[in-house]
Amino acid sequence: MSGIRIKNLRKSFGTYTALHGIDLQVPNGTLLALLGPSGCGKSTTLQLLAGFEAPTEGEIWADDVLLSSARGVLPPEKRGISLVFQNYAVWPHKTVAENVAFGLAIRRLPKAEIAERLDRTLRTVRLEALRDRYPSELSGGQQQRVALARALAVEPRILLLDEPLSNLDAHLREEMRFEIRQVHDLLGLTTVYVTHDQSEALVTADRIAVMKSGHLQQLGSPEDIFERPSNAFVATFIGANNELAGTSEGNGAIRVGNHVLTAPDRSGAAHGGTVSLCVRPSQVRLFGAEETGLPAEGCNVLTGTVQRSAYLGEYRDVLVDLGGGRTLRAFIPPAQSFAPGSVVTALLPIGSCQILGPAA
Amino acid sequence: MGVISTDSPDSAAAATARPAMARVPLARTVVFGAVALLLFLLVVLPFGWVLNNSFHDDITGGWTLGNYARIFQSADLLEPLFNSLLLAVATAVIAVGIGVPLAWLVSRTDLPFRRSIRVLTLTAFVTPSFIGATGWILLAAPNSGWLNALWRSLAGAEAGPLLNIYSMTGAIFICGIYTVPYSFTMVSSALDEMAVELEDAAATLGSGTLRTMLSITIPLVTPAVIASFILSFIQGLTLFGVPAFLLTPTGIPVVTTKLAEFYQLFPPEIYMAAAYCMPLLLVTAMLFWMRRRILGRKQFVTISGKSRAGRRIALGAARWPAFAAALLLPLVSVFLPYAALLLVSLTRAWGQGLSWENLSLHWYWWALFGNSETHTAIVNSLLFSTLAATLCVMLGTVVAYIVERRMVFGASLFGAVTTVPIIIPGIVMSVGFFAAYTRAPLNLYGTPLLLVAAFAATFLPIAYAHGGSILKGIGPELERAARSLGAGEGRTFLSITIPLMGGGLLSGWFLVFIPIIRELSVAVFLITPKTNVMTTLIYNAKDGGNYEAVCAMSVLLLLITLALVAAAGPLTRLTTVRRTSRKSGRKTAPAEGVLPT
Repeated sequence: MSGIRIKNLRKSFGTYTALHGIDLQVPNGTLLALLGPSGCGKSTTLQLLAGFEAPTEGEIWADDVLLSSARGVLPPEKRGISLVFQNYAVWPHKTVAENVAFGLAIRRLPKAEIAERLDRTLRTVRLEALRDRYPSELSGGQQQRVALARALAVEPRILLLDEPLSNLDAHLREEMRFEIRQVHDLLGLTTVYVTHDQSEALVTADRIAVMKSGHLQQLGSPEDIFERPSNAFVATFIGANNELAGTSEGNGAIRVGNHVLTAPDRSGAAHGGTVSLCVRPSQVRLFGAEETGLPAEGCNVLTGTVQRSAYLGEYRDVLVDLGGGRTLRAFIPPAQSFAPGSVVTALLPIGSCQILGPAA
Repeated sequence: MGVISTDSPDSAAAATARPAMARVPLARTVVFGAVALLLFLLVVLPFGWVLNNSFHDDITGGWTLGNYARIFQSADLLEPLFNSLLLAVATAVIAVGIGVPLAWLVSRTDLPFRRSIRVLTLTAFVTPSFIGATGWILLAAPNSGWLNALWRSLAGAEAGPLLNIYSMTGAIFICGIYTVPYSFTMVSSALDEMAVELEDAAATLGSGTLRTMLSITIPLVTPAVIASFILSFIQGLTLFGVPAFLLTPTGIPVVTTKLAEFYQLFPPEIYMAAAYCMPLLLVTAMLFWMRRRILGRKQFVTISGKSRAGRRIALGAARWPAFAAALLLPLVSVFLPYAALLLVSLTRAWGQGLSWENLSLHWYWWALFGNSETHTAIVNSLLFSTLAATLCVMLGTVVAYIVERRMVFGASLFGAVTTVPIIIPGIVMSVGFFAAYTRAPLNLYGTPLLLVAAFAATFLPIAYAHGGSILKGIGPELERAARSLGAGEGRTFLSITIPLMGGGLLSGWFLVFIPIIRELSVAVFLITPKTNVMTTLIYNAKDGGNYEAVCAMSVLLLLITLALVAAAGPLTRLTTVRRTSRKSGRKTAPAEGVLPT
């Protein structure tokens, strides 16, 4: 079971290069999230996978079938790949049932089988009651489910989801995340899910590919991506992060301004190279300047001035000015409180810090 | 469920690192080939022949630049050019001078009966201007015209005629009043589309009504005003019917009537006529280029918010005087000429004056059933227009689709060729089709096909632009969704795109059908007695002096046209509304285009 294999995929539009040689593997039955900010190349990758664009270089394989190369592209209708669009693209002139059955009718399946698969699919996405409605009579979330059902009904070998939840309101979005994951677990389809929302990716995906400016930054499990980001961009893109820029001192040490801090070094940078110290705000602990006997062992110690503090119920979000234009965010217990202007000591547990290089 | 079998027999081919499909599907080749061939036959070939002919000598048939030299050396040929320019400028001045204030009154003020004024202006829009001219000949011919007779009965028999429609002034008047609807429509739609919020914003900043109008409203509609000036200018320059009816009898030549003259000479100077088309083409091409540049920057006009019906400016005491003024245009362009045509058509013999004994439907019966010539023309008009509009919309839509979805390399070339006829005046189109298809191997002279093709070609830009504007409103994802579910390009086009275009296609059909059925100049060199249409019959019969029959035919043509216009709206809505119970039908802006007559 080899799934999707993308080899050195490059795509240029005129002089602009959207993808700089991407290599990706999606094993059969897994859900891969393509995650990145807009313009990172994730949508281009999806269009290439679906067959609407031809690669400038490289190949796309599904199992042992070559789908795309610079020499030609298997047309979208021959790929067995279903695509769910960001704006749903539900046909307004067809009812829910007609939308979902379209792909089945194209395949000239016997009537009974079409009816049976239609019912089953509508049940999967809980749309049985709305089968005779027109899309204009459905809510956004319902249209989203029609689009999903339509894509699933044809039993594709690969399912592509292009920012499927970005047009829904926040509440519905959270609910649909789990629903998509549930459908995936039920059907076990090889799925590629494009999103710019990190929490969507963390919730739904087996594997996450983080992209930026047409380059693949990291491919790994959600835990890998969050806990062991490959570079400072990934660390900052996934979850809240502090990024203190500096230069490598070698041997797990980084010079940030006048301080030399230590942390596991995963940058691979040589002495003097540009690196950052990354630490999650939730790992930072703050103490008043007058406090003594701090548990500073195994920690990097920094001092600064509280710039602002926001009470968020479950924690306080404190921004500390370290001087030299550097700031540090800390999520501290709500019981702790520092007025703006007060001087604080920040402890950064070495084990929670990482020295990372810049984005690829 | 789960992973389906790959149902791909091409695994072996995959090993050669070339996806299994690179060949172009047959259907695609056939469709693209047919489109390219049709565009070649309808646009490139006629235009090419005009160009080629213009460099040949009518007597020797050899290559020459003499035709062009003659245009600039002979006063005979320069005079029509100046007359045409005069007619064009005056037409544009009248059209804008009346159309813009009228548009503002109807769109922005509390003018009474604004809807009726709009409808009447639209009626003037669909009235062929040469029929308007016929009506005005009845009203204002120097001797027999009713208004002149009325004048004489008031001022005494020895008084000279009050009005003379057979003059440059008369032609300017007719061209002007029938071009007003162009500027009216363009400017009023710009005013309608303009977000009221833009004016409100100025008001909240302390700007008064007049100040807001001067600094916000007028600058925002200026591009529409300029564009409508250009369009009206082109109308005045390229109209054939009106000058042929009003100026030819008094010996004032314009370019379009001069072109017809070349054909009536013996032997006809067909190559000279081709060269004489060129100044006209040059000017229209230039003007369209200018208009495009102006409209290209127009986007800011259509930045519309939620266009609620805006607050209207209260005219106060000026309300009814303004209404009277607004009624003037319908009076001279619809009421008076229609009344004249109707009355004459209903008299047995016009010379015997108005009396109950003289009233009859005789000429209608005669036109419809009694006379084979008129009967044929009516059938031809309906048949040719139906076929031409259908061909035109089909081709225009397919080209628009190819261009809009960039389906082939060089698709925009298809679009450019399809748009070319917009710069070709109807009379030049006639010259072109005559040149291309009255010779072997494609001698179509005397066949219906020649007229159908010429009509379709002339209005292709409208169908294309209209198709394109509908397609712009249909997201490509709707089609891509079908593709990813296994539908090929053809299937997707037929089962997704066409149904989604729905009512828009039908309205496009009417948008083309209506100008075709009232088109005169395109047909003028192409008809034979067997392929005569209503417009050319009216044109030719007028010289025979049988005014009762001419009027009956004109009224019939008007009735058909108005009935179609009235039917178009409801029919279009019927096909759009059903599926979109929330939105009340997609609003498609009618494509602009010249409707030469």
